[in-house]
Amino acid sequence: MKFIPRQPREGINVSDTHPLVEAGTLVAGLTVIFVAIALLLIFLVEIALYFIPVEKEVALFEDWLPEDLVTVSPADERLHQTQLLVDRLAFHWADAPYTFRVEIDDSSVANAMALPGGLIVVTEGLLDLVESENELAFVLGHELGHFRNRDHLRALGRGIVLSLFFATTMGKDVSNISVNVTDLALRGFSRQQESSADEFGLALVYTHYGHVDQAWRLFERWDETDGTVLNVVSYTSTHPDAGDRVDKLKDQALREGWPVEGSITGLKW
Amino acid sequence: MLELFLNFGLPFLLLLVAYFVGTMLEKGHFRSIRKREGEYAKFPVVTFDTMPDDWSASSGTLVSGSVVISLDYFKRVIAGLRAIVGGRIKTYEPLLDRARREAMLRMIEDARRDGYDAIFNVRLETSRLANSRGDGKGTAGVEMLAFGTAVKFASRFARTQ
Ligand SMILES: [Zn+2]
Repeated sequence: MKFIPRQPREGINVSDTHPLVEAGTLVAGLTVIFVAIALLLIFLVEIALYFIPVEKEVALFEDWLPEDLVTVSPADERLHQTQLLVDRLAFHWADAPYTFRVEIDDSSVANAMALPGGLIVVTEGLLDLVESENELAFVLGHELGHFRNRDHLRALGRGIVLSLFFATTMGKDVSNISVNVTDLALRGFSRQQESSADEFGLALVYTHYGHVDQAWRLFERWDETDGTVLNVVSYTSTHPDAGDRVDKLKDQALREGWPVEGSITGLKW
Repeated sequence: MLELFLNFGLPFLLLLVAYFVGTMLEKGHFRSIRKREGEYAKFPVVTFDTMPDDWSASSGTLVSGSVVISLDYFKRVIAGLRAIVGGRIKTYEPLLDRARREAMLRMIEDARRDGYDAIFNVRLETSRLANSRGDGKGTAGVEMLAFGTAVKFASRFARTQ
């Protein structure tokens, strides 16, 4: 037998795909799949929340608080007064299915949020800006309007799915799914949802005080100062332009014949 | 922020280092393999399990060459991603190619050092080495073993060409 010397041939057993191309393809492909799954999950959660009955929602979220919420002391007078004001306003919403809970978030950025299970979060930043109870009443009434229209369950899917994702990748306990108030603060509702909540809020304010004086004074101040000197970026980024809102509220008061002047209730803190 | 860096930034940095160092080492290894394969090209290595009829041996012995090569972190991560969807694990292919060829070369070097002229009945064996992770998953590296029967020819001219 004649032995024919031959060196191993290259490129037979080893693919000529560059490792970085292989890495890029895999990372890009898997990212697309992953994002698609996440979007589908978000969509499914949104659908589920859309159809959840209000009793079920209340039962599920009865004691729930956003994970990163930094609450003030339970003895804080502002907390008592705000809770009291919410209760008084909600009294005029005869068949309200919620027992509303108020929490004050230790954040200097003005914001107010309607969260699942009848939780209303207002920030210290907002409380620093309101100058009368009437101003605060309208902001709270507006949030109650979101509950009435069940807007507060919209856009929760992203927060829930994102926290699920971080819980799994960071190796945290998945059963303890948390939604962060910082995520929720960024969700915006549609113009239609906002005006509807405004209308409901103003009606509550009128029913409670018998007039709507100073209901929109807060927004007028924001509009005058352009919102820039105040810490209202968060609230204004998720709510319509203050000037537009004031015009609409004035129209509503005029249409309904609600007095725009009356006695103002001061803040009790 | 620190948590984010520890969870994503650090592995990514490690991945980059692993890629550059790993590629450099692999290229170097392939260079050495090709050079030695050129030197030993004329040394007969066959897989027949009996000696070819026209070989007349005066003595013979078992020779072997084995090599253990570890995966780098880059290869391991990419292979892990590949494992999700399936398909050819392209980053492992050069690793095993290196292992096979290096084992053969070491076997030939083993035979040549003792003055043998040829090897027949060559076999390759591979085994997965220790786990790279505590949970019993992951591969730390591969072992490749080449062995065969080396023979000395009875006379210089016994090997018919
Ligand atoms: Zn709103």
